[in-house]
Amino acid sequence: MSLQEIILQQLINGLLIGSFYSLVALGYTMVYGIIKLLNFAHGDIYMVGAFVGFALLGVFSTAIGAGWLGIVAAMLCSMVLVGLLGVVIQRVAYRPLLKAPRLSILITAVGMSLVLYNFVMVLTNGEYKAFNTDLGFSGVSLGALYITYTQIVLVVATALLMLGLHWFINKTMYGKAMRAIAIDQDACRLMGINVNKTIALTFFVGSALAAAAGVMAGVYYGSIHFFMGFVIGLKAFTAAVIGGIGSIPGAMLGGLVLGLLEALGTQLPMVGSEWKDVFAFVILILLLVFKPTGILGKSEIERM
Amino acid sequence: MSKKLWVLLLMIGLLTFAVAGCGGSSTPAPAPAPEGEATGGGEETVSFDGQLKIGFMAPMTGSEATYGKDMENAAKLAMAEINAKGGVLGKELVMVTGDDACDPQQATAAASKLVSENVVAVVGGYCSGSTLPTVKIYADADIPFVIVAANSTRLIDENVGKAFMINGTGLHQGEKAVELFNRIGAKKLALVHQGDGYSEDLARITQDLWEAAGNEVVAMEVVNKGEQNFSSIVTSIKSKNPDVVYWTAYFADGGLLIKQLRQGGYTGDIVVGDGSNSPQLLEIAGQASEGVYVTTNPLVEYMPVAKEFIDNYKSAYSQEPGPYSALAYDGVYLVADAIERAGSVESAGLIQALADTPEYQGLSGVISFKDDNTLEQSNFVILQAKGGKWELAE
Amino acid sequence: MNTEKNITTQTRLTDNIYAGLEKKPVLYGIFALLIVAVLLVPQFANNYLLEIFTNTWFYIVLCLGLNIVVGYAGLLDLGYAAFFAIGAYTTGILSSQFGMNFWLTLPFSILFSALSGVIIGGPTLRLRSDYLAIVTLGFGEIIRIAARNLSITGGASGLIGIERPYLFGIYLSKIHHFYYLFFLLVILAVIVSYRLHYSRLGRAWQYIREDEDAAEAMGINRVQIKLYAFVIGAIFGGMAGSFYAIKMTAISPETFVFTQSAMILLAVVLGGMGKIPGVILGACALVLFPEIFREIGQMRMLLFGIVLLIIMIFRPQGIWPERRN
Repeated sequence: MSLQEIILQQLINGLLIGSFYSLVALGYTMVYGIIKLLNFAHGDIYMVGAFVGFALLGVFSTAIGAGWLGIVAAMLCSMVLVGLLGVVIQRVAYRPLLKAPRLSILITAVGMSLVLYNFVMVLTNGEYKAFNTDLGFSGVSLGALYITYTQIVLVVATALLMLGLHWFINKTMYGKAMRAIAIDQDACRLMGINVNKTIALTFFVGSALAAAAGVMAGVYYGSIHFFMGFVIGLKAFTAAVIGGIGSIPGAMLGGLVLGLLEALGTQLPMVGSEWKDVFAFVILILLLVFKPTGILGKSEIERM
Repeated sequence: MSKKLWVLLLMIGLLTFAVAGCGGSSTPAPAPAPEGEATGGGEETVSFDGQLKIGFMAPMTGSEATYGKDMENAAKLAMAEINAKGGVLGKELVMVTGDDACDPQQATAAASKLVSENVVAVVGGYCSGSTLPTVKIYADADIPFVIVAANSTRLIDENVGKAFMINGTGLHQGEKAVELFNRIGAKKLALVHQGDGYSEDLARITQDLWEAAGNEVVAMEVVNKGEQNFSSIVTSIKSKNPDVVYWTAYFADGGLLIKQLRQGGYTGDIVVGDGSNSPQLLEIAGQASEGVYVTTNPLVEYMPVAKEFIDNYKSAYSQEPGPYSALAYDGVYLVADAIERAGSVESAGLIQALADTPEYQGLSGVISFKDDNTLEQSNFVILQAKGGKWELAE
Repeated sequence: MNTEKNITTQTRLTDNIYAGLEKKPVLYGIFALLIVAVLLVPQFANNYLLEIFTNTWFYIVLCLGLNIVVGYAGLLDLGYAAFFAIGAYTTGILSSQFGMNFWLTLPFSILFSALSGVIIGGPTLRLRSDYLAIVTLGFGEIIRIAARNLSITGGASGLIGIERPYLFGIYLSKIHHFYYLFFLLVILAVIVSYRLHYSRLGRAWQYIREDEDAAEAMGINRVQIKLYAFVIGAIFGGMAGSFYAIKMTAISPETFVFTQSAMILLAVVLGGMGKIPGVILGACALVLFPEIFREIGQMRMLLFGIVLLIIMIFRPQGIWPERRN
């Protein structure tokens, strides 16, 4: 492989990792934007999404087969179910604490993460589950580069989900309500916007996107386990901050930037796979020191 | 609706689950006595002259709990068999389990618990990282420790002569791997580990052995546990054109790596270490696993002497024995054998008896110790994946 | 609505009990009883219990350290294990590779943890508090990965054979030695925390925590005051780490994962931020809860999470919170 080809291949790799980060980061950033909560349980929601998709695929495979149709059906159903789970979590664990100190609600989120993680661990007996969808490695090759059809489908699906979200946020009444609440909750209440319902809707959408990412990861990598949400949760959180937490385009961009940084870091001679996470975190810290709002975040005066 | 009602609903839901979960996850009772003398006598019960406590330490909780449970089952099976034949020195063997959770801090607590229970010997140790600090605790209490699965070379350095390792060490495995690389005519080697004590140790040992033999290691990569996407590492490896990739860590991520290496167009050989000897690796990697080699401690499936053990294990626990249970089973028998030879449970005598073990034939191979209390003979074998199954490659 | 009222009366009841406990004679009486009890425990308890108690003391020190950062100054630190790691590795490297006496490594451990507190806190304490969370999280990961990759730290296997020291002519090797040693650390940490809380600095922290802008308007140097909290918290972590290294004699990077930081933070918030007895209670819960429920195996962390959620929902300020006027 020539150097250009290696770099190009790493860019493609980074784009693919990054699109997963982006999907998960969206959930962080939407929740943060609306109730200023770092939802620690979000990575675990991604994991639950993968398991729900796995269970559904098992059911669907007898009815409509485990091909693309079955996968899409499982993904959509998982998105709805996990979206509802997100709403329940918000209702049970976060809403009673909206007026409590910020740290308390954060710890509640950590507790929620513990519960989800251990719940799935007990349920699955800590075992790995293999998705039985061998999609094969056929694809297109460009010189020494090779891209499988599955990878193309994944990137297209991610792009579609993000476009859908963009439309939802910017063109619908609900999206407008979400943006308004992020700016001033009390004013919204006075204007007759149902604040609680809109917050619940935000959790629904964020969780559904994480579930979509979870099912896609399960299908693409072929195996799922109860701690799969941990690393991607941390990374997506980082991505959301890089992009500017609270900003939706920022989360999309942040995910891609983090993915590219990691992929290129792996190839850099002084960095390599050993130091690639350090590389990504150092860049994150430098970015925050010199541009504290992230790439696309708006500066705001902090109110405690 | 008050928040109290919501919480009540949540609690009821979770508690229902907890009750159901407890019922399902409780370990089955120790195996009944296998067919033999004990059952021949009908209702006859063996009478004992007191008890001997044997400690057993492995992860019962946490991400490695599955292996710990397999090992615990096997150890219980061994004790039930020994007791059915009259116990040791006329005394009944009783097991005390300590849960190390594969975490150094919890491991020291578990080790102290076993010491407090006055066990005569300890069998166990799965994760090298959490087994390390316990070696000193048992040594300080003069308790012999038979380490059955953990095999980092650091354990040898930490040992003051009271611990015995019945799994082959990293050095044994590295030698076996190099032997395999030579056999398949490889020149350039890429190593991938997972950044934990065990897999890094094996990768470094293999690197040293391979370079000492005048060959080249073109890449040494590390992946983080739980990270699923290895595509950038695959590209990096591919760009260095190795003849063989050696994965020294565990099966779950190993399966993903194999799949992604093939997906990324890597066509050379792939070898994995003993942490990846699980059949689940083949399931996760799917068709990409064809032809992959594994350097492994002997799995019971390939040991003719273990047939009876597998049958007994399956009938007692209705599941497959798992990759490390034979070693746990051997560990218990080895201790029982040493106590018989020493004639008492007095610490110094028992440790000496263990050190003098005369070629004990266990399920996993022949056990006798070198001066550093590691296995005299390497018990590693090479298997190859064919049609979704491991087969002996010799 | 009726239930809401019940909760408030209930809360008020517990608060009254705590207020009663906080009266000086009562407090000193309880202290004296507790200390006597703690000193007598090794006479009765077996090694296992002592090990658990020693572990509890250890986490109390860590939690009190983090409490200065989170509870006193109101800064969210998600990478506290990094300072703990720096202390442990400083002692580990200096004693195992340079043959230095443990007691001589302590000043270095303080120096390095304080220095790292300045390095990471200096540029980032100006940031919004949520960004501080991610920066500290990143720092925690950087330290862990560096420890895993460098050869001086023993790589992924870590360091072994860290030499244990002598104290007053006694070779510290038995568990009851560490039991007393760590208890001594707890007393030290409590005294320092208590003195800090009622010092000029402590009041400045409180001011900043409650109203940053007003504090700045009153002439308090916001960044400098926050940095003090960060550095003092780091020193607590570093010291705890050094003692951890000699107790375990072997340290490895897996001890300093993110979960460790999250658990320490959890204990602080669960117990009650800013309140010393509350934090101690939180640390005890953190160690004792999983240990007591060890029998139920895999279920215990799930149960821990559920209990945590319930406590947080009904008592978001923690079990024994600080009374704020």
